[in-house]
Amino acid sequence: MLSINQLLTKTKGDRVIWITVILLTLISSLAVYSSTGSLAFKYQGGNTEYYLLKHLSIFLVGIGIMYLAHLVNYKYYSRVAQLLLIISIPLLAFTLFFGVDINNAKRWLTIPIINLSFQTSDLAKLALIMYMARVLSKKQETIKDFKTGFLPAVIPPLIICVLIAPSNLSTASILFATCILLMFIGRVKLKYIFSMIGAGILALALIIIIALFTPFHARVLTWQSRIDNFMNDDKGSYQVQQAKIAIANGGIIGSGPGNSKQRNFLPTPYADFIYAIIIEEYGLVGAFIIVALYLLFLQRCIKIFIKSPGAFGAFLAIGLSFALVFQALINMAVAVNLLPVTGVTLPLISMGGTSIWFTSISIGIILSVSRYVEQEDQKQHVQTA
Amino acid sequence: MTKTKSIILLRISIAYLAMLVLGLSILYRVFHLQTVEGAYWRSLSDSLTTRYVTIDADRGNIYASDGKLLATSLPVFEIRMDFKAEGLTEDVFKRDIRNLSEALSGLFGNKTAYEYYTELSVARKNKERYHLIKSNVSYVELQQLKQFPIFKLGRNTGGLIVLQHNKRVYPYDYLAKRTIGYVRDNNIQPVGIEAFENALLKGIPGKQLMQKAGNGIWLPLNDEQEVEPIHGKDVYTTLDVGLQDLAEHALMKSLLKHNAHHGCVIVMEVSTGKIKAIANMGMIKDSVYRELMNYAVGEALEPGSTFKLASMLALFEDGYIKPEQIVDVELGRKVFFNQVMKDAEEHGFREISVRSLFAHSSNVGVSKLVYQYYSKNPDKYLAHLRRLNLDQLTGIEIPGEKKPRIKTTKDTDWSKVSLPWMSVGYEINMTPLRLLTLYNAVANNGKMMKPYLIESVREYNNIIQKNEPVVVNPQIASEQTIKQLKQIMEAVVIEGTAKNLYNPYYSVAGKTGTAQIANNAGGYNNKIYQSSFMGYFPADNPLYSVAVVINNPRNGVYYGSAVAGPVFKEIADNVYASNLNINTKPVVTNNKSILKLCSGSKQDIETLYREFGMAVPASVNSNWITPVISDSSIQIKEMAHKDGSVPNVVGMGLRDALYLLESKGYQVRFTGYGYVKSQSLKQAVNNETNHLIELTLGI
Repeated sequence: MLSINQLLTKTKGDRVIWITVILLTLISSLAVYSSTGSLAFKYQGGNTEYYLLKHLSIFLVGIGIMYLAHLVNYKYYSRVAQLLLIISIPLLAFTLFFGVDINNAKRWLTIPIINLSFQTSDLAKLALIMYMARVLSKKQETIKDFKTGFLPAVIPPLIICVLIAPSNLSTASILFATCILLMFIGRVKLKYIFSMIGAGILALALIIIIALFTPFHARVLTWQSRIDNFMNDDKGSYQVQQAKIAIANGGIIGSGPGNSKQRNFLPTPYADFIYAIIIEEYGLVGAFIIVALYLLFLQRCIKIFIKSPGAFGAFLAIGLSFALVFQALINMAVAVNLLPVTGVTLPLISMGGTSIWFTSISIGIILSVSRYVEQEDQKQHVQTA
Repeated sequence: MTKTKSIILLRISIAYLAMLVLGLSILYRVFHLQTVEGAYWRSLSDSLTTRYVTIDADRGNIYASDGKLLATSLPVFEIRMDFKAEGLTEDVFKRDIRNLSEALSGLFGNKTAYEYYTELSVARKNKERYHLIKSNVSYVELQQLKQFPIFKLGRNTGGLIVLQHNKRVYPYDYLAKRTIGYVRDNNIQPVGIEAFENALLKGIPGKQLMQKAGNGIWLPLNDEQEVEPIHGKDVYTTLDVGLQDLAEHALMKSLLKHNAHHGCVIVMEVSTGKIKAIANMGMIKDSVYRELMNYAVGEALEPGSTFKLASMLALFEDGYIKPEQIVDVELGRKVFFNQVMKDAEEHGFREISVRSLFAHSSNVGVSKLVYQYYSKNPDKYLAHLRRLNLDQLTGIEIPGEKKPRIKTTKDTDWSKVSLPWMSVGYEINMTPLRLLTLYNAVANNGKMMKPYLIESVREYNNIIQKNEPVVVNPQIASEQTIKQLKQIMEAVVIEGTAKNLYNPYYSVAGKTGTAQIANNAGGYNNKIYQSSFMGYFPADNPLYSVAVVINNPRNGVYYGSAVAGPVFKEIADNVYASNLNINTKPVVTNNKSILKLCSGSKQDIETLYREFGMAVPASVNSNWITPVISDSSIQIKEMAHKDGSVPNVVGMGLRDALYLLESKGYQVRFTGYGYVKSQSLKQAVNNETNHLIELTLGI
């Protein structure tokens, strides 16, 4: 007990963020436990605890990573961002050609010695957001200038997103959109923002055309069918249809923990469509709580921004939190069929391995900024007192 | 707060607002899906998600009386392929498709590797999710198939879908097919024991509430809703595979020889009423016969002369006549009310004994006697028939047994000539099995047994139902009557129409039938012949009663003795030859004739002589000897077989003949039972020894 107390006193940063993250983790555990039934039947001979325990241990490690990351002074992350970004570019290129092929998409790299697979896009995403915080905070003076302000901010996202796009167009698009959002916040001229949105759309078209004539055309077919399904078919694809049934089954208060029927119909209910399963079990109330928790999290990060004395820390908190919440909202929008199927996970809730740890790192970094803000606060209080 | 920071904060607020709007849209969308569209989506849910799946019970087996398997269920598999299986990538498919095609072609041999390659490539292109590769795949084949390229990756990566069905298998194929029967789907009338005992055989299917989990995977929902299937029971029949095979072959031979339309044979165990064999053959096209219908129990035609046994029983039992009594059979022609009664075979008899008129199957004789004694009171005659249960179903365990018809005097179609015509087997309808029970009862000293096919029903080899022989009537007639009936039936073989069935080794009793009956179709102008023989053997201690009925022989020969008789004889001969226990008839032939048969090994022959208490003739110095019979003595000679000539094995037992010929390097084939009657090769051809010799056996 003593050690836990010690750990708690050492744990700094915004308590609300900590609690929000823990709550999301708990909800995640319930939803994953419920939705891995068929997976357990298929691969573990009906041992449904297998996936729960695996998921919980990943989370425990994740919270450990979060804790460690928040102990580091956030200022170091400026340097780390630069370094990671430089590493990510060749890694992404390597993955594109030599990665592990799942569903015609090469997204995964295996770290040789420890034999751990991770999506290079997760790493690149983290690096890019951190790097954006660095650039936007450093270039605030000249941000309205095209050459010295805009170009340094726009080139890294372009490179990264173009490298991610062939294997994971939705992640690339969302990441690019997040970067535009950050540039908007970072006072980049609206004229540039809009022209960039135009350029983004143009790039998207170009990528699709290029991909059609290269070995990646299988992916194009997937994109095509997903968009076709969304645009043309009223009833939607099988996945969407099943998700809708789940949501309709849920009602206001849901059918109760572990009572989802649709988990057996929805392909991979523990990943992309976990929000639909949560709604089926916890109803509209559950749907609201999830959205509210993410927005609360975002709000707390904005509070860090307001309180943060340093520009880099402020942008870091804003950048990482917006990226996370934006992805969460996109995922939920897909689950309720507001957007076509993308394949992005619900951060902190979907079952996953290393991607959870990347999320943990980014929350850890936010908490590190928060910790610093708290310390400054205390100093001010001391000074005023 | 600096000005820059407040501008940034404003923009953050706008961004936050955007997020908030997105969040609220999501919640609104959820609300919309639950309320406005809710009913629609929920209605889809129930029909899609759960269903009761029937778990088939294993169907029980059907066995012969000696435990040989007559019908069983084997699992067979249907192989399908999901070309859009999640993990079946283009790389794997392209790399292994050729190997898979070759393996499939090698295993099944029904298509070339190239044909498989084309088929699979097209299916892949069309993204078929349930492509049929092959049905009727055995378990052994499935095990091999699971090791094939692509398929060895399993369901999710290799797209292999395996569906199991149970297939009914009949190890003896056509043997007693109609009696064993079948139960099929799609509204085909089930027949035979399979149908009769269907409820026991099929068991009770289980039920399981299943929930769909993605692509064709159904998972049990929970344990309480499961109903375990109860597997079917095994049925042990009274059928004897050997006798059944014998009966079918003998019947087939006669049908082919006489170009008959159809026929049936029943072999019943006298003391119990057990059906040991029941063969039914109908022509499907020239010279091709199949078990089309169970004529033995499903066809009730006019039996003809075989029915005379019932008439004689009535006459004897009422004490009106005696076997030795002399009757005027009027040269085989008599008029009853303008209707002419004729005997089937012309004979020059006028005054003969009752025994002889039965033996020669005189219609005039029998009808005259019946008319003489019963025309005043036909019901008295009819009461006899009813007491013999001849108007009742036998209750055999085969669905669709035809009920016999015996007219009553009150029936509208009763006429003055009904009585005389009925007395010789016309104007009545009866299945062969029904009439056989009467013959069986006479053979069984008056005790009438219920014929039955099912001996026991077992579950996991524990007997749960056992059928014991059922006595229908413990004494159908007085001992005196039975004795007289036996006597006149033996006369049929000794002096009458079935002299061709006589043999010196065992005695036979029975009755021939040569009837001209209305065709099945009904037209009276269209009369066909029906040749039959019913009887039992050995006459003095009956083991089996046999009915042979052959319908519409079309090669000019139609007498019961010539068409049906040989079928009976072949069955009786073979039973006799393979079952020495029934050889109760003392051998009355002289010693010479029996020993004449015995060429063979010197040691065996000398043993035989000693066993019969005869002096062993002076021997010669050879291993193979031939007894030579002169009028007064038997001499032993060395069997002559010089090198280069084929040993003469005629008269030898099969064992000796095989030994002798095969030791000389000949290949031997044989047909029949008993001793060697003839051999196909007597002289060596060009000194070749590796030659085929065919032996015909007989007794």
